[in-house]
Amino acid sequence: MNKFNAMHGLAIKKFASAASVADLLAGNDIDVAAGLEAAVAEGQAVSAKGAFMLSPKGHTALAEAYPEAFKALRTDKTLLDGYAQFEFLNGEVKQLITEWQTIEIAGEPVPNDHSDSEHDKKTIDRIAALHDRADPLIRNMAVSLPRLVRYADRLSEALDRVDDGQIEFVSGVKVSSYHTVWFELHEDLLRLLNRKREE
Amino acid sequence: MTDTLNSGVISLILDGTSLPERQLIGGKAWSVARMRSLGLPVPPAFVLTTEACREYFRNGGTLTESMLASVRSGIAHIEEATQRQLGGAVRPLLVSVRSGAPVSMPGMMDTVLNLGINDTSEAAIASETGSSTFARDSHRRFCEMFARIVLKSPIESLSPQADPSEWRTLIAKSCQKAVPTEPFEQLTLAITAIFDSWNGRRAKRYREHQGIDHAMGTAVTIQAMVFGNTDASSGTGVLFTRNPLTGAAIPYGEYLECAQGEDVVSGSHTPVAIERLRECMPGVHAELMRAAQTLEREGRDVQDIEFTIEQGKLYLLQSRSAKRSPAAAVRSAVEMVREGRIDEAEALRRVSAQQVRLLLRPALSANVDTNSEVVLARGEAASPGAGFGIIVEDADEAERIAATGQPVVLSRPTTSPEDVHGMFVAQAVITERGGSTSHAAVVSRQLGVPCIVGCGDGALQGLVGRTVTIDGNGGYVLDGQLRVDQPQEDADPFLRQLRDWAKAR
Repeated sequence: MNKFNAMHGLAIKKFASAASVADLLAGNDIDVAAGLEAAVAEGQAVSAKGAFMLSPKGHTALAEAYPEAFKALRTDKTLLDGYAQFEFLNGEVKQLITEWQTIEIAGEPVPNDHSDSEHDKKTIDRIAALHDRADPLIRNMAVSLPRLVRYADRLSEALDRVDDGQIEFVSGVKVSSYHTVWFELHEDLLRLLNRKREE
Repeated sequence: MTDTLNSGVISLILDGTSLPERQLIGGKAWSVARMRSLGLPVPPAFVLTTEACREYFRNGGTLTESMLASVRSGIAHIEEATQRQLGGAVRPLLVSVRSGAPVSMPGMMDTVLNLGINDTSEAAIASETGSSTFARDSHRRFCEMFARIVLKSPIESLSPQADPSEWRTLIAKSCQKAVPTEPFEQLTLAITAIFDSWNGRRAKRYREHQGIDHAMGTAVTIQAMVFGNTDASSGTGVLFTRNPLTGAAIPYGEYLECAQGEDVVSGSHTPVAIERLRECMPGVHAELMRAAQTLEREGRDVQDIEFTIEQGKLYLLQSRSAKRSPAAAVRSAVEMVREGRIDEAEALRRVSAQQVRLLLRPALSANVDTNSEVVLARGEAASPGAGFGIIVEDADEAERIAATGQPVVLSRPTTSPEDVHGMFVAQAVITERGGSTSHAAVVSRQLGVPCIVGCGDGALQGLVGRTVTIDGNGGYVLDGQLRVDQPQEDADPFLRQLRDWAKAR
């Protein structure tokens, strides 16, 4: 079971260290590392420079294991209702991130160079307001799957860093930004519930 | 200098006779007071000071009798100045209520507009403006803002088709609290909510991390709303003291006759260029231009000015440093040095490395005419710039080919986090599905990679292996390797000047 969980986390992270997969899964580093090493031993993952990645064989094995592993969750009403609301908020998150990246000047879209802190602050406030709605939603889904709480915490951590002026934590690609964590949660839910991403 | 911070001043009329410290009245009220002291026309306003906020918390989180009295006399001042009455059945007064801490911080409650509206004043506004639609809409917007900001209701929007009593029922159900109809009660609840937001989680945490004194407090500014939609000699608009796209020192603005500010923002009306105002109200136009010059001179920066004209009288609602494109940032900084408004060091401070990077982003050569090129696909331009390369449809392959030094364009039906490593190395990203908010668009903009999304199902399938050029500004996938220019600092005279100043330091 350790190996399956670790592989599921790795599938969301794509290319990551055992520690960051463990963080995503709200698990402990040693168990996850053991799970990933077991996957490597069976040719289901490869490792390089302390980071892991699923092999094509691993992807197939994971897809085959999902229906049985997530059988109960896929009919869990709390999770399904939560997911429906999550999809609704997801549209708003994408819109907000777009507004964060592109501003309108004299009616024309222009990349946001973040020279206008007042504009940035307003957008951040809106993301925070959305987070106030997302947080209880995620915690409620965690009644069915406790590890999901870690996403709520990681989203709060990203927002805290943004408040401290590290604005790359809004949508930065290389850090656990709000957008990165949100997207990982989305990917996790899609895999859990066997749904397809719309775009 | 008197110590106004501990003088017990809990409220001030912002009539321009004095310019109190920002610490006492907050940024918003300070800018109103400053505009008044420059002799500029601003709607009448008063402020509850940061001292009132401290007093509020000392009083256990309730407004004191003397604060309530100050609010009453402040409102009386606005009523006198506008010849309107809060909650009145004829010429009703509506006010805006805004928070204003001495320093900006996250999580503070923002603004409630149209406060004072109820069924009586809605009817009065309908007859005054001749538009029952506008009056009803003002009422709805007030209920939405009040519900969300003051009552913390989860309701996002109210249906324009429903009526006010239905809105109020819906809101009361959502949060077990009602939107009051009595204007003074609306006002005290809004003030209380602003003071309380000072101790919200984000604001508190921010102060702790930044070492800001919790005792600083926030001020509350209460200001008359003016109507730009009462008759043909009324209107609303936005004026930039310089062109915000190019930076040219020519005022640039939009004006909407007989309309309210929200109409410009909502796009429900198409505004016309500011020159229209010169034709229909030359006196007001001239006054606006003078005010714009004053504000730019005082602010020592390009200003973005919101104004409303109510029955032939100009009001300035807000003036702030203007958002501008990177090109405008560079040009206006250089020209303001030449005009003697700022020094070279300040000009250099005003242009960020990020702005210069955006200016120097590769673009399709001006010599390329997209009309005469073969367009292989077309989609929504989601991240600007240009790039060329061989089309690959897999992120791993993109990484592999790019590692050999060969430029690649990543083509996907859609992208997901699994594709990000391929997006890192691609010269451009194109997708078949999705819009400007899709994953591909968001990540590409973040990486500064040109991107076109939504080219259509199947539109990109036959293109794998071809060399193409992506025009991320126009949204074209063009056949072959076309000329893409890397802008040089030297080519832009303003950028060159900035660089020379930087070198001389």
